[in-house]
Amino acid sequence: MSAPAAEARTDVPPVEVEHVSVAFGAIKALSDVSFTVQPGSIHAVIGPNGAGKSTLFNVLSGVYKATEGEVRFGDARLSTMRPFQIAGVGVARAFQNIALSGAQTVAENLMLGRHHLTKAGFLSSGLRLPRATREGKVHGERIREIAEFLDLGPKLHTPVGVLSYGDQKRVEVARALCIEPRLLLLDEPVAGMNAQETVRMADAIREIRSALGISIILVEHDMGMVMSLADRVTVLDFGRRIADGTPAQVQSDPEVIRAYLGSGTDVDPAEAAAAHGGTAHGSTAHGGTAHGGTAHGGTAHGSTAHGSTAHGTADHATDVPGSRP
Amino acid sequence: MSDTLSAPAGAGRASAPPPGSASRRSPARLLKPLLLVALLVVLLALPLYVEEFWLRTGFAVAGAIVGAIGLNLLVGTTGQLSLAHAFFLAVGAVSYTYISGESGGLGTRAALRGLELPPIVGMVVGVLLAGLAGLLFSPIAARLRGIYLGVASLGLVFIGVHVLNTWTPVTGGFNGRSVPEFSLFGFSFGNDDPQLFVLGVPFRAAERLWYLGLVLALLAYLFARNLLRSRPGRALQTLRDSEVAASVMGVNVQAYKARVFLVSSMYAGLSGVMYALSIGSIAPESFGLTVSILYLAMIVLGGLGSVAGAALGAAFVTALPLVFQQFADVLPLVSAPGEGGVAAGIAARYLFGLAIILVVLFEPGGLAGFANRFRRRGRGSARGPGSGSPSAGPASASSTTVPDPSDPPAQGSSTR
Ligand SMILES: Nc1ncnc2c1ncn2[C@@H]1O[C@H](COP(=O)(O)OP(=O)(O)OP(=O)(O)O)[C@@H](O)[C@H]1O
Ligand SMILES: [Mg+2]
Repeated sequence: MSAPAAEARTDVPPVEVEHVSVAFGAIKALSDVSFTVQPGSIHAVIGPNGAGKSTLFNVLSGVYKATEGEVRFGDARLSTMRPFQIAGVGVARAFQNIALSGAQTVAENLMLGRHHLTKAGFLSSGLRLPRATREGKVHGERIREIAEFLDLGPKLHTPVGVLSYGDQKRVEVARALCIEPRLLLLDEPVAGMNAQETVRMADAIREIRSALGISIILVEHDMGMVMSLADRVTVLDFGRRIADGTPAQVQSDPEVIRAYLGSGTDVDPAEAAAAHGGTAHGSTAHGGTAHGGTAHGGTAHGSTAHGSTAHGTADHATDVPGSRP
Repeated sequence: MSDTLSAPAGAGRASAPPPGSASRRSPARLLKPLLLVALLVVLLALPLYVEEFWLRTGFAVAGAIVGAIGLNLLVGTTGQLSLAHAFFLAVGAVSYTYISGESGGLGTRAALRGLELPPIVGMVVGVLLAGLAGLLFSPIAARLRGIYLGVASLGLVFIGVHVLNTWTPVTGGFNGRSVPEFSLFGFSFGNDDPQLFVLGVPFRAAERLWYLGLVLALLAYLFARNLLRSRPGRALQTLRDSEVAASVMGVNVQAYKARVFLVSSMYAGLSGVMYALSIGSIAPESFGLTVSILYLAMIVLGGLGSVAGAALGAAFVTALPLVFQQFADVLPLVSAPGEGGVAAGIAARYLFGLAIILVVLFEPGGLAGFANRFRRRGRGSARGPGSGSPSAGPASASSTTVPDPSDPPAQGSSTR
């Protein structure tokens, strides 16, 4: 693998989220959210369960239409585009709840990331025309690089369905990287990983940013990881933006502290969030089941009905919506 | 692992072989092509040795294989439930008969019309028209999924049967009409013209059609297999598992759904032409709902999403009733029509009714999954779902067919 930073991308525009609102009937999943992601930065979006983080990703990737407001990525008005067009301008997303094809191998899943970079159609593939075959080989090489970068090299030909949870999470990220994105959306990439895996993923994210020079929006409950990685942090609560600033600014913001504890007590949000998400970054207590959400929901939010979703369970409505009729 | 990630190097690096190709060469791998060649030789030599009945059955099976592969692309691979397959079969069969058939005739046939064009034109146009019908329906198909699509596609079958019954000049009405013999550049696939002997064996319609069936089924098989192993195939499989994931990864979901519907209905069109040639006549009852359901039975039995499975399922479902009929007198409990005991066709139905239930219960991967399991045991390798036992399409119980993900929360429910 060659020297990384030299080849970093220079064509990364800022992401401008302006006054975005999303409503589901009476539920306002996002109200009037605005922020800007600087080119080449790691921008964290945090907030309690149900705060609207995944909904925001769904807007950015075109899965949901914003009821109001606009999202721009350079010249591209993401809020008016369809998901596959958004992938076409280099926006990639790793899903919170793994959305891979279990029967396909890791390599096949990664190859899907090359979809918009390749052309072979039904006819040329079915007839195995030379150009279709050549295309597959060329891209196979890059896929292997990306797989190795994320420790997936030996598992390239394993069906994804039999991999461990941590491996599947890494395949999610790898598949997104295979898009060769200019903007990478990571929805809780370390949820459910053990301490060692978490550290490695954090390193990988750092490396992705410095080697590729792309922008990353990171949604994560692991506050230690967020605060150490992010250049800037936007905090959502009940769909509203309650803070936006550097990690240090956000950590001392009284409203953030209130949001995480449901009261005005002066507590470090990092700790609060750790209790909230059941994770403690870097510490050995970071067990594999941490995100099963032991003390989730009820405790942190006190009296509100908010945050009642059990984190990490299969039926998370918003991560991969609408796959049923 | 490498600790660094380089920026994309562009498309210039074609040097290394595709991942894993070297490590997977083993004696077992060399055995497979040999077996395939042997099988092909046997199939090619068969007309020299077996009776007409088996050759005719073989051609019927070949036609069904083409149709089942097409339906499996749609239902098994992409997860789009369609009950309209019989309709597209009918479009192919009727188009062929009309385009290459003769006008007029004695008695009730006086009203029949035909364009009398060469049969190959009839076949090609039949396939294209079936594709066109599929394309016209595909905007609906692209917007619906699961049982909703199934029910919507059901409508096509009813329309088809009605048209077959009433559009007498073209379809022959409820009596049906006979189908023109196939021929290719002056070579007839009938009994003579030219008369033909190979090693002293007369090559008549059955022998000639056998080869036609072999070629068409093989081409259909290869096309589908290539398709599934490449870019569009991966997109279709992902689309089945999660439409949202597919679209976010850059797949134009609606366009792909429309295209797979087009391909599937073209397969059905060809299968319809072959069916017409195999029976020698077309009639409305040959294209009813039962036929659609038999095709679904084929792909569930064979293994959803597996091309080889579709072929196996088609052979099983098509050949069984014919074989029962042929051997009604020697099989216990089975009788020729009109005698006591269970009629051959009914016995066959009992049998694959039972087979379907057993398959869904015990081997959701179908015959293909069964074969895979057998092969894996033979090699003594670790367990794990091969590409031949895909996770379920809509037509089978989904939870039982997901290949044992070590992490239950993520796979399946939320993405499906
Ligand atoms: N399709 C939908 N229909 C109805 N309500 C929805 C839908 N999508 C999201 N919501 C609601 O919007 C709110 C925000 O959900 P979202 O998934 O964005 O939260 P989140 O911040 O990602 O939470 P988590 O940390 O648990 O992933 C929740 O109350 C959720 O129930
Ligand atoms: Mg979420």
